Amino acid sequence: MKSFLGKRAIASAISLIGLIVLVFFLSRLTGDPTALYLPVDASLESREQFRELHGLNDPLIVQFGTYVSDLVRFDFGDSIRRSEPALDAVLRAFAWTLQLALITMSLVIVTAVIVGSLAAFHVGGVFDRITTFFSLVGASAPDFWIAIVAIVLFSVNLGWVPTSGTGTLWHWILPVAVLFIRPFGLILQVVRGSMISVLGSAYVKTARAKGVRNRPIIFVHGLRNAMLPVITVIGDQAAALLNGAVVVETIFGFPGVGKLMIDSILQRDFSVVLAAIFVTAVAIFVMNILIDILYAVLDPRIRY
Amino acid sequence: MKYQNGRVAAILLATTIAGQAMAQEQTVTVVLSEELDVVEPCMASRSNIGRVVLQNIAETVTEIVPGSGLQPRLATSWEDMGGGTWRFTLREGVTFHDGSSFTAEDVAHSIARTTGDQIVCEIGAKFFGGIAITTDIVDEHTIDITADPAQPILPLLMSTMTVVPAETPMDSFVETPVGTGPYTFDEYNVGQNITLSHYENYWGDMPEVLSATYLFRSDSAVRSAMVATGEADIAPNIAVQDATDPATDYAYPNSETVYLRVDHEIAPLNDVRVREALNLAVDRQAFVGTVLADGTLLATGMTPPSTLGYNAELEPYGYDPDRARELLQEAAADGVAVDSSITLIGRTGNFGNVLETMEALLQMFQDVGFNMELKMFEVAEWENSYSRPFAEDRGPTLVAAQHDNANGDPVFSMYFKYASDGLQSGIQDPQLDDMIAAATAATGEEREQLWSDTFAYIHDEIVGDVMLFHMVGFSRVNPRLAFEPTIKTNSELQLAQISFN
Repeated sequence: MKSFLGKRAIASAISLIGLIVLVFFLSRLTGDPTALYLPVDASLESREQFRELHGLNDPLIVQFGTYVSDLVRFDFGDSIRRSEPALDAVLRAFAWTLQLALITMSLVIVTAVIVGSLAAFHVGGVFDRITTFFSLVGASAPDFWIAIVAIVLFSVNLGWVPTSGTGTLWHWILPVAVLFIRPFGLILQVVRGSMISVLGSAYVKTARAKGVRNRPIIFVHGLRNAMLPVITVIGDQAAALLNGAVVVETIFGFPGVGKLMIDSILQRDFSVVLAAIFVTAVAIFVMNILIDILYAVLDPRIRY
Repeated sequence: MKYQNGRVAAILLATTIAGQAMAQEQTVTVVLSEELDVVEPCMASRSNIGRVVLQNIAETVTEIVPGSGLQPRLATSWEDMGGGTWRFTLREGVTFHDGSSFTAEDVAHSIARTTGDQIVCEIGAKFFGGIAITTDIVDEHTIDITADPAQPILPLLMSTMTVVPAETPMDSFVETPVGTGPYTFDEYNVGQNITLSHYENYWGDMPEVLSATYLFRSDSAVRSAMVATGEADIAPNIAVQDATDPATDYAYPNSETVYLRVDHEIAPLNDVRVREALNLAVDRQAFVGTVLADGTLLATGMTPPSTLGYNAELEPYGYDPDRARELLQEAAADGVAVDSSITLIGRTGNFGNVLETMEALLQMFQDVGFNMELKMFEVAEWENSYSRPFAEDRGPTLVAAQHDNANGDPVFSMYFKYASDGLQSGIQDPQLDDMIAAATAATGEEREQLWSDTFAYIHDEIVGDVMLFHMVGFSRVNPRLAFEPTIKTNSELQLAQISFN
């Protein structure tokens, strides 16, 4: 296992270095940030002064050298937009995204696994049909539309929850609920399909023949074996949330890393873009390693 | 005795609750469309920074008041000393939020900081580019400010100059702005909110609003919903499709003017008949209430009607496609290459429905016979076409732009847009240069008349550009407030001017 983890860490580090190099040069291709930061009436002298202050006059290779030498000291540079260290801005935003992702994925996993398993137990039954219908609707509905409709219905018309923001527990209800819908629908369908396959296998039939009750059959014998493909999809969905739920963050005013990344790309705030990609990439690499470990825990046949 | 103690406790509790309720009633929540990158007073010409900082936290030397023109603020009077020097007498008894007294030294420091080269301040870049400003402190409350080249409108320029204490660092932006304004900067929870509260030692009248919270939501529908639910009191900038409630939603001229900058240097746009044909080809009225909001005004000049020297006698070009075709035929008969391919350049996201507007304009131009193609650029690429130095091989171009002038005087616009060496000027006309120089140097009624004449010359005689629209903005205001947005709401939101119904 240790050698596996070591190899994965080295592979992740190489990927990360490649990612940083690629993003550094690709982001510079988007153009000069000066036009975005100074008013159109700004004089040529002001523009020159801005470029000089932010090192934009240096040749690209010199800028890259400076960036790498700073990065060795874990210095991602300062945000042009915010006049603060880029890493501080990213870590602050990432903390919000992490909370949102953890809460949402916890709820998604628990509910999708239970509901998907129960739906698989009576394939074609009323419960199965209802959950399939709603999960497919949830998985295919655009989240910006759901978010706006939810605000109009639950905040403006019913007045049950705040429209947006982060002040209290109530503020989390709508964003988490909107984020919940799509991964819930997808994972539920994967759980259902995987469970249908597992529940039709010989060892489940044997357990039934021996008089084992339904609950242990579903949640002990069936679920553990059905979980491997489910975990893969959970990892995929969690990675998407760690990248930032841009639409939900934007609409609900959540200061997460997705919105920060998009704003920084649009504003050509290169230091923040690179820091955000670095942090989210590290988080996703760590999560993938955890998923690999989880495979081995769930299926003793898997050994690294 | 026990009973008496109980009564005292009840009264104390009641007064505490009442006090809190009153404080809450005197709190205003403003929801802005964009989070503030910085809270630096020298960046307050950016609209979202200005709405928090300008005149609330940091005050300016002078102030433009809609309807009243230039008014005192931190300076009580000013006098032209000649040779480009103006003497400003400063208000006495003013203190900064850190307790220090406001003096001429603070003004000198603020000017040096804003126009210096250690940090790039937007106010310096936008209003003081190419002008060398020096200061001479006469006494604690008198300062001489000299501009080179001389600026007859220096007092007007000082309406953009935010004043900070002399101890403010020259080489970095502040994270906690300190000013002399009626509100102190309390806290910035990055990503969430900013809070201000009333400054007890403020030199002016006690405002009704005692504290304010600023929230940030990108989505217009959410901002308007927040006012509808009472979560916010003012949403200064909402989209036209969200301004659906006449009881709470206000339309106001937002000081933005949309126009097509014509490149006079390249044929066929160097022919006045072709430029007139461009103007006659556009059915401006057809945009209003359809692609653009109701209340949008047809423009004849670069600055909105509230600006000094606005020429109300000028008539927008009417829609006359037949005459446009005739003019093109006349020009063609004289050898003008009217069938040359002209590039119409727009900027993505420049204003609501910009793409629809540009496509409609393209169709109108093509209908009268122009050979034209539309290109939509993002801001940096667009600016390469809009600002000098222009590319040598650019070909004939029309660049759509939106220009903001809420400062009350055309000088903030006209040099850049129309002087021969103006950064965004497509015109090389010595007579126009002289007219701009004369109007810039004049004062009082003469200044107003000279600007008015300049607008007429550009619009009627040389047919400078294709002027299109003075735009309107929409704000939603909670009915508990007595507040009506004005043209200044585009750049500032003075809490002290808000009262409660």
